[in-house]
Amino acid sequence: MASLMSDTAAHSDALGYSFSKSIPNPTSHSSGPRQHSFYPYTDNGGSTLGITGSTFAILAGDTRSTSGYNINTRHAPKVFRIGADDPSSRIVLSVVGFAADGNALKERLDTIVKMYRYQHGKAMSVKACAQRLSTILYSKRFFPYYVHAILGGMDEDGKGALYSYDPVGSYEREQCRAAGAAASLIMPFLDNQVNYKNQHVPGSGEGHALQQRQVTDLSQDTVQGLVRDAFTSAVERHIEVGDGLQMMIITKEGVQEIFEPLKRD
Amino acid sequence: MNHFPQAWGRPRDDIYGPYDSSHLHSSLPQSHTQSPAVTGTSVLGVKFKDGVVIAADNLASYGSLARFTDVKRLRTFAGTSVIGFGGDVSDMQYLDRLLQSLDIRENYSSHGHSLNAKNLHTYLAKIFYKRRSDFNPLWNNVLVAGLDDEGKPFLSQADLLGTTFSAPTLATGFGAHLAQPLLRRLVPHDEGSVKDVTREMAIDAVKECMKVLFYRDARSSDRYSIAVVTKEGEIEMKEDEKLEGQSWAFADMIRGYGTQVN
Amino acid sequence: MTSIGTGYDLSNSVFSPDGRNFQVEYAVKAVENGGTCIGIRCKEGVVLAVEKIIVSKLLKPGANKRIATVDRNVGIVTSGLLPDGRHLTSRARDEASSWRRTYKSPIPINALAGRLGGYVQAYTLYSSVRPFGVTAIMGGWDTEGELEVDGQVGTGPTSGGGGKINDHDIGEKISRGGPGLYMIEPSGQYWGYYGAATGKGRQAAKSELEKLDLASPTNNLTLNEAVKEAARIIYVAHEDSKDKEFELEMTWISHEGGPTKGRHEEVPKELFDAAVKAAKKAMPEYDDSDDEQGEEGGDQMQE
Repeated sequence: MASLMSDTAAHSDALGYSFSKSIPNPTSHSSGPRQHSFYPYTDNGGSTLGITGSTFAILAGDTRSTSGYNINTRHAPKVFRIGADDPSSRIVLSVVGFAADGNALKERLDTIVKMYRYQHGKAMSVKACAQRLSTILYSKRFFPYYVHAILGGMDEDGKGALYSYDPVGSYEREQCRAAGAAASLIMPFLDNQVNYKNQHVPGSGEGHALQQRQVTDLSQDTVQGLVRDAFTSAVERHIEVGDGLQMMIITKEGVQEIFEPLKRD
Repeated sequence: MNHFPQAWGRPRDDIYGPYDSSHLHSSLPQSHTQSPAVTGTSVLGVKFKDGVVIAADNLASYGSLARFTDVKRLRTFAGTSVIGFGGDVSDMQYLDRLLQSLDIRENYSSHGHSLNAKNLHTYLAKIFYKRRSDFNPLWNNVLVAGLDDEGKPFLSQADLLGTTFSAPTLATGFGAHLAQPLLRRLVPHDEGSVKDVTREMAIDAVKECMKVLFYRDARSSDRYSIAVVTKEGEIEMKEDEKLEGQSWAFADMIRGYGTQVN
Repeated sequence: MTSIGTGYDLSNSVFSPDGRNFQVEYAVKAVENGGTCIGIRCKEGVVLAVEKIIVSKLLKPGANKRIATVDRNVGIVTSGLLPDGRHLTSRARDEASSWRRTYKSPIPINALAGRLGGYVQAYTLYSSVRPFGVTAIMGGWDTEGELEVDGQVGTGPTSGGGGKINDHDIGEKISRGGPGLYMIEPSGQYWGYYGAATGKGRQAAKSELEKLDLASPTNNLTLNEAVKEAARIIYVAHEDSKDKEFELEMTWISHEGGPTKGRHEEVPKELFDAAVKAAKKAMPEYDDSDDEQGEEGGDQMQE
């Protein structure tokens, strides 16, 4: 890429465009002091996803951690229980992106949820926790936590809850969400298999008259199957995803954690 | 229309004048380390059933100059942990002093050492993360070897960004490319294989990798340090080892770069 | 001696006409009633010991340590007002760590004694403060090896310019480091000692210490013997107040090649028990119930 840039810079001079000056490109300046400026982020790859049903929520992520083409480790969980010292806690957070920020965010939210429990004598609701997570992320609006977070839990009506976030705190409650390296591979699959997008009732008409297939309530086993399929497929097509699958299944009974192998290539 | 997509939509110099790029180079109010100066290269670590092996060579480079050749990059802490430092040497010395002062304070209470390798790793990672968040990084990549809270072998990495991870075999820098694939042969089932790795297997693998690194890493040296931390909390540290059984016969065959063009 | 009614004893910064600072003298009184503390300096290291009077049966045996560690190689024990002693210890730790920050090496024992002496003395100068109600005994070991620089990465050249000076270069044994024992009094006065004692039983302790002939260049008291002597001396010094029960606490600092490798540590249980046993044996009234007392000694060290 750099060499491509400097080539065009040479051409553009002839054409009368200010490339060499307007594109700051250290490799094209051979003279003068070289600045290797510090970049505070990196991408550790991996993918996460969350799906809710009426009585449960599942958060999952692969366990690979990468640096460029290197695998740092095959076992680096991305899905964390929040406020887990209280057995009544039903909150789970997944973070994908820059792992150091992800860890810092996890620890911060965990501390806040624990402090809430100590100070108010009751567990924080997922709804409150979701809003709080948003404010944490936004508090670093101009030096963001470089992560896509998904928060899962059980809401006050006993239904599975799922909230997804952008790095600066914009959030939304959703049925399902994929995040991270293979989000663009998994999300369309989820749209089709969870919300039946592009599925129609056969023979219901032509063109706009075609009827959308009615969305149904999915069972826990079905959803677990979808998660597994989503990841085994993502592993095939994305180099940063693989090694292991971590699933957190949140129900009113508690939070269950499952690890399964994924392809390690 | 010209055929350089990069030029599309840009103002032409003959119409608008050359781009004034002076604002791009304006000096910042405070400047921090933006690059390391005197550096150490790879650090290797392998867990085995009764402990951890860790190694690093004794070289500190100044760019491509082999500046210091007797630099100890493995450091022991609290008598039970070893930290292997890669990256900037002055930052390593700073961290060394910081951890020593932590150890001194820890010893004020008379109930013995309480900081294990896991604690040290967490502490170091938080320091790295804080410093990167202040845009004033400590330019290191470290491996921490020792024991965890349950007295089991512990090996973990932390770097200048505060990124952390743990695996049965770890290698920083060049070693991540060259040594890690070789070391992983020891542990085909990751953590599940550690019980099958003996002390000798781990040491031999690390020594072999140090040799491979010396062959191919131009910033490496054949003098190295190696330490073994065992479950009993004992450290066997050797700081002046020399690579054994080198063979440069393969170098004869190399073609395509350097002085032999084809 | 009496200063009652003269008015010269009410403020720190006022001398009496005959040149005394009564506030300091009252501080010394506070020390005179404290538990006996002693220090023994021998060639191989230093031993510190303190007689802890048990003021309540509800206190946990072995808890509430009185001898504190400063840096790694120094121990401080105080007699008098305990909170004053803690503050002084805290100051000593700050001095030691600030010395390290500046010089990248551990503070020499004499320098630390000087810093503490200066600090204590400053509390005799102002009317807004009172002097320290403690006398501190400070023991340590300056390493006899080559002084390391904190964070040093190499060993440096072995010869030539910038190389090291060895014994044979100058034709005599190079003397580096060694033991240090200092006592700092409420006035800020500090002296180095071979054997130091303060607190209630100091007179008896001092006369026992003198018998050890520590100042003699031919004295060959080993560190293990010093531990036993220290235990015995505390027992002897306790004679005058034997209606009160006490607990013994002992720490030591050996040379680099010795049992503590130049660090300040608690005397290990085995040696401690042996020292207590020997001490009791030397005391006529303890002698008859050897075994039972030995066990009791064991209890005293548990945390």
